[in-house]
Amino acid sequence: MKGVGVFAVAILAANVAQACAVPVSGAGWQQLESSRYVVAFRPLTTPSVGQLFALDFALCAKSGALPQRVRVDAQMPAHRHGMNYVPSVQTMAQGVYRAEGLMLHMPGRWQFLFELSADGRTDRVTAPFDLDG
Amino acid sequence: MRLLLVLLVLAVAGEPALGQGGVAFTPAETARILQHGPWPQPWSADASNRVSGAAAAAVFGEVLFFEKRLSSQGEFSCASCHTPDMAWTDGRARSRGHGLADRNAPSLLNVRLNRWYGWDGAGDSLWAQSIRPILDGREMAAQAAHVGDLIRNDQQMSCRYRQAFGAPPSSDDEAVLVDIAKALASFQETLVSGRTPFDEFRDALARDDREGMARYPAAAQRGLQLFVGRGNCSLCHFGPNFTNGEFHDIGIPFFAEPGRVDSGRFDGIRRLQASPFNRLGRYSDDATGASSLATRHVASQHRNWGEFKVPSLRHVALTAPYMHAGTHATLADVVRHYSELDENRLHADGERLLKPLRLTDAEIADLVAFLETLTPHQPPEFTPRVAVETKCQ
Repeated sequence: MKGVGVFAVAILAANVAQACAVPVSGAGWQQLESSRYVVAFRPLTTPSVGQLFALDFALCAKSGALPQRVRVDAQMPAHRHGMNYVPSVQTMAQGVYRAEGLMLHMPGRWQFLFELSADGRTDRVTAPFDLDG
Repeated sequence: MRLLLVLLVLAVAGEPALGQGGVAFTPAETARILQHGPWPQPWSADASNRVSGAAAAAVFGEVLFFEKRLSSQGEFSCASCHTPDMAWTDGRARSRGHGLADRNAPSLLNVRLNRWYGWDGAGDSLWAQSIRPILDGREMAAQAAHVGDLIRNDQQMSCRYRQAFGAPPSSDDEAVLVDIAKALASFQETLVSGRTPFDEFRDALARDDREGMARYPAAAQRGLQLFVGRGNCSLCHFGPNFTNGEFHDIGIPFFAEPGRVDSGRFDGIRRLQASPFNRLGRYSDDATGASSLATRHVASQHRNWGEFKVPSLRHVALTAPYMHAGTHATLADVVRHYSELDENRLHADGERLLKPLRLTDAEIADLVAFLETLTPHQPPEFTPRVAVETKCQ
């Protein structure tokens, strides 16, 4: 019986390490996951070619604290270039952020990039985004 | 018979858009064609310019545009390099004022639609860009004090300034310089090009008007198909104004003269960020700061070296020669550049989008035929405002 109890606690501990609740609700959020964090993001407006837009994103840490530094970027892997702008990130609430100053300047396959840094390590998560033109 | 009719309807409903001469555009091509409109674009004022869209300021700006006394020796006006009957350019490879400029004078038609101004984007507003040639030693070679004195001491200039801004010109020379640049911008905002044969075709395509589409020449349709398809031209020459408003390296040599480079956007960003006339500075009339978003976030990157602004292709047939230093005399030369692109000239960290297109002579001719349809049947004629012709009271 003791062995079964230990086994049950081990399963519960493992589940807690893999999941956390991102502090957002509503529709349109896309969720990504790294080894340490879960990220949900959505653009405030539908991106269109050559137009500046903002993007909200939220984080939770699977264990431990939120990252000390967050960075947002976008790139076109097939063309080997990123944006012509560096987004600024402001903290809206605990674990909730807004990135402004993004622009996707040509149609095609882009990739959003989130860099989440803490304790000397950086987690990177990406999400594809097809911009119609 | 009924079955035959049903089959016929189904066949027509599924077929690609068909123009004259049998060019069948796929749904993807059709979508790309449609994003090149509608035209004209709706008006919007420049929040950083308090006289943007103001009639009196546009009149004053028109007077200033043709005023040679703005230059240090009274020899050159804005119209010296932006001539109305040359589509507001000058037909030269590189413009000449007091000296030889490094670059080709861009047309001012539809200039208000830009996000960045100049081939290097060193200006983030039309009024900031209007200051640059006035002060540049190779162009009008003037100083703020010279401009201030002219505006304050000339009765007509002072009168028009008062009508445009509601007060006489101050003793602050730099502030007066900025204001006359804002009036110049207000005038230049009125320079727009009309609808073109391409616009008629694009709108006919949007409403599936086969008869309207059939009026568009077959060669232009084939060229358009290349433009939005294999040529990938529409990726950068995007949208109703045929430009994404940003900067690219397309393998054009960037030596201004032996031993001196024109770094294009790389230096443009540096100049923009150092300028007291940018949208972040005290002369912007936008109290909210909303219109300075691009200026706040623009980033200087190594790949900006040798990048130049993607020009609009509207009325392109009227604005030879082409490229930032006027190195290409004809549209066919431009198309051949992309056809025979030397990838070794591209930066190592440059655009991977560009590959030599290897076009046939017929394809080159078709692309040129398409580009020529981006000019109105009746090229724009400039008519001075009546108020300009009369004395200011």
